[in-house]
Amino acid sequence: MDFIAQERDRLLRSTTRVVGIVCALVSVVAVICALAVPVVPLLGGLACIAIMIAGFLVFGWNASVWWTALILASGLGALALLLLGVDEAARPIIASAVVPLAAGSISAPLMSQRGSPVGLGLTILAGAIVVVAIVWASGSVLAAPVTGALLGWVLIAVVTIWISRSIPRVARRIYSIGTAHRAERQASETEAQRRQGARLLHDTVLATLTLLAHSGVGVSEQAMREQAAEDARLLRHLRLGATPQPQQSGDYSLTREEESPLGQTLESVKQRFGRMGLEVSWHGTGQVLLPSNVLDAFLLALGECLENVRRHAGVGEAHVTIVHDNEMVRAMVTDSGVGFDLTHVSAERLGFKESVVNRLREVGGDAKLFSAPGSGTTVVLEAPR
Amino acid sequence: MSRVPEDTISRGLPGETVQPAPRTRREARERYRGSERRQARGLPSTSTGARSLRQAAKPGASLGAGYLGLGAAVLTGIEAVAGIIFFLIRWTEFTDPWLPAAAWALYLVAAVGVGLSLLTYGERLTGLAFALICVVLGCVVTLDFIGIWPEHDIAHSASASVAAGFALLPVATLRPAREVAAAIAVLGLAFVGMAVASTPITSDTLPAIVSTVALVTVPPSIALFVVHRFRQLVQRELDRVLVQSNVQAPQFAVGMLASDELARLDLAAEKLLDAVANGSDPLPLSDASASVAASLATELRLHLIEGRRETWLYHAITESDNLGRSVSVADPQSLAGHLSPAQRDGLLQTLWQMVGDGKQTQAGSPVVSVTLGPVGSDGHPVTDETMDVPVVFESRGVPRRRLGPTAWSALQRIGPYQDSVRDGVLHVVAHCVVDRHPSM
Repeated sequence: MDFIAQERDRLLRSTTRVVGIVCALVSVVAVICALAVPVVPLLGGLACIAIMIAGFLVFGWNASVWWTALILASGLGALALLLLGVDEAARPIIASAVVPLAAGSISAPLMSQRGSPVGLGLTILAGAIVVVAIVWASGSVLAAPVTGALLGWVLIAVVTIWISRSIPRVARRIYSIGTAHRAERQASETEAQRRQGARLLHDTVLATLTLLAHSGVGVSEQAMREQAAEDARLLRHLRLGATPQPQQSGDYSLTREEESPLGQTLESVKQRFGRMGLEVSWHGTGQVLLPSNVLDAFLLALGECLENVRRHAGVGEAHVTIVHDNEMVRAMVTDSGVGFDLTHVSAERLGFKESVVNRLREVGGDAKLFSAPGSGTTVVLEAPR
Repeated sequence: MSRVPEDTISRGLPGETVQPAPRTRREARERYRGSERRQARGLPSTSTGARSLRQAAKPGASLGAGYLGLGAAVLTGIEAVAGIIFFLIRWTEFTDPWLPAAAWALYLVAAVGVGLSLLTYGERLTGLAFALICVVLGCVVTLDFIGIWPEHDIAHSASASVAAGFALLPVATLRPAREVAAAIAVLGLAFVGMAVASTPITSDTLPAIVSTVALVTVPPSIALFVVHRFRQLVQRELDRVLVQSNVQAPQFAVGMLASDELARLDLAAEKLLDAVANGSDPLPLSDASASVAASLATELRLHLIEGRRETWLYHAITESDNLGRSVSVADPQSLAGHLSPAQRDGLLQTLWQMVGDGKQTQAGSPVVSVTLGPVGSDGHPVTDETMDVPVVFESRGVPRRRLGPTAWSALQRIGPYQDSVRDGVLHVVAHCVVDRHPSM
């Protein structure tokens, strides 16, 4: 509420300033048009109005009661000089010329006296003096200038009350929007975490999309369709808020348990590449328990290596040997394909560093690449247990 | 075969309707603005926050304007009552009082009609209704002018036509400023024309004419100003309240826009894969679909890799229209994430105070820059459990003497601070002691 109160006061002060200055200028034009005021009181009155305008400018950002007093005093001074400086006959004309000054400029400080009883008292006193002065000058209570001045004061009072009441009302609505927004932000954050947490799912979706990006060339149409249907089903599950848990054949074990058996998920990788036309042979034990984040990284790296074999090696078979000791689990991915010269093709260009090395390093593992043209490729993946 | 541009994704999948090219320049500009706002705000366009902001920024009726309009209607009513009393008192002085009386009758009927329609259809005014109101007001002014013509003294005889100016007060809260300004200008010119035609212009009559024209044109113009400032206030406060939700965010967050994008990408991928699976997108894929798959894969990969690297402060600054324009943040070690909610609140409040009302902002030059860290510099000790993060503000937005007590108490909530002024730039260094292992 602190901030909005500050904003409200600022709004009221700038309204005070605009009303005060505009009305004073209108009065200046009207008084000069009248050509009825002798030079000395005219200059005095204009000087007072100039001081008043300066007071309004300062008042815009410093609502001290002294500035209110200065504005009121200079306004009343201008009124007195202009009304007393003319003869009896011209006085009603000048009275109608100073109506904007009396009704707008001198009443404007009324808008910014919240929390300042002295300023409010001074302004109301000034208002009383103004009405008396205008009644005296125009010679009748029912004259148009009197109505105008009274109307001005009433309108300014209503404006003040109404703006002060509008702002807490709109603030309440804004705060309820803020509450709704906070809840939305939390929900969206949780949702994003859930989606990003489903890494394995996204890995297989990404692999499939990459295949599709090459128009699915090199994979049988049937296999491609099956793979797409499976991935779409998993994505649908994710969207509907369930943790995807396929029923058939232990495919894609995406449970977020603290430790997951490696063997079960390896089988899913094998099936995936089987459908794409790469026969993967497993060697060594598959029953290794890994923390789920390590398992994710390890499987991702393995999948990327096999994808590279499928795409670049030019052979239909790859061997994966998995060994483990108390601290580490290692996988060796070997193929007897075309191989390549490591000095000619940098590891970065293959996306190897980003997708394999960095992912493994994030969980404390590492990867090494060995290859030569014509003699196949071997990748060693390491991850802590 | 035609190549599909790289940004196919942002336009949706093949088969979905792509927005047609803008037909008018205005449409293009509005669309551009819309996309820019969405980019700058970092809020998904369907969220409550983005919708509220759009509503608050729309010309015409907006958040909170209804109540303000009611206040303006009260002003109009007071003026009308005063005008009628004034008119009745001087009834005998008119040569033909019946035409102004007819003008008042029309005015009252129209006011009741507009009031009832607003009560029935809610706080909005269509362009057609506004045009109708203008026509009725035109009739009121014409009737009154014809009625007072024989007096040859517009300043002391016009009543219903003056009320027409006040009738624009409530309209100013419901219609775009441009239209109301045009109506005010037409009315003002009508008064000037009538004054010149009907009243002998002498130094005796001119002051009253100036006052009358001012009485007709100044109140609705000031109403436009107040409504404009009120809308600014609402937008700023809305912006501030929406950004405030970042105070409760975890140490690193994805952000609402990225989260929305991820969901959208997942959905797009699901649709594409479904289309492949059920054969509606035949294999091998067309160039267009393959390109969609490629860009989907790229974007998904980016979102999954770069997801959670940004702190709440980054999100707060990028999501806010006001802060985003005038604050630059340097936080290479992502230390903002360590701050407690109270410290974050203090930091945000300080920024809001230092940015001020954002009027002096020139494009491209941030008014306030905040630097967090480096940790372990001189005078900022680090222990096993806590560390003292230096938070350095450099502010050229609001001069030091204009920063109120709110700003200094907000700084106090971050931690003990020292401030100095060099070359008109305010430097504040706060010692922000944070937990090294935040629980959030």
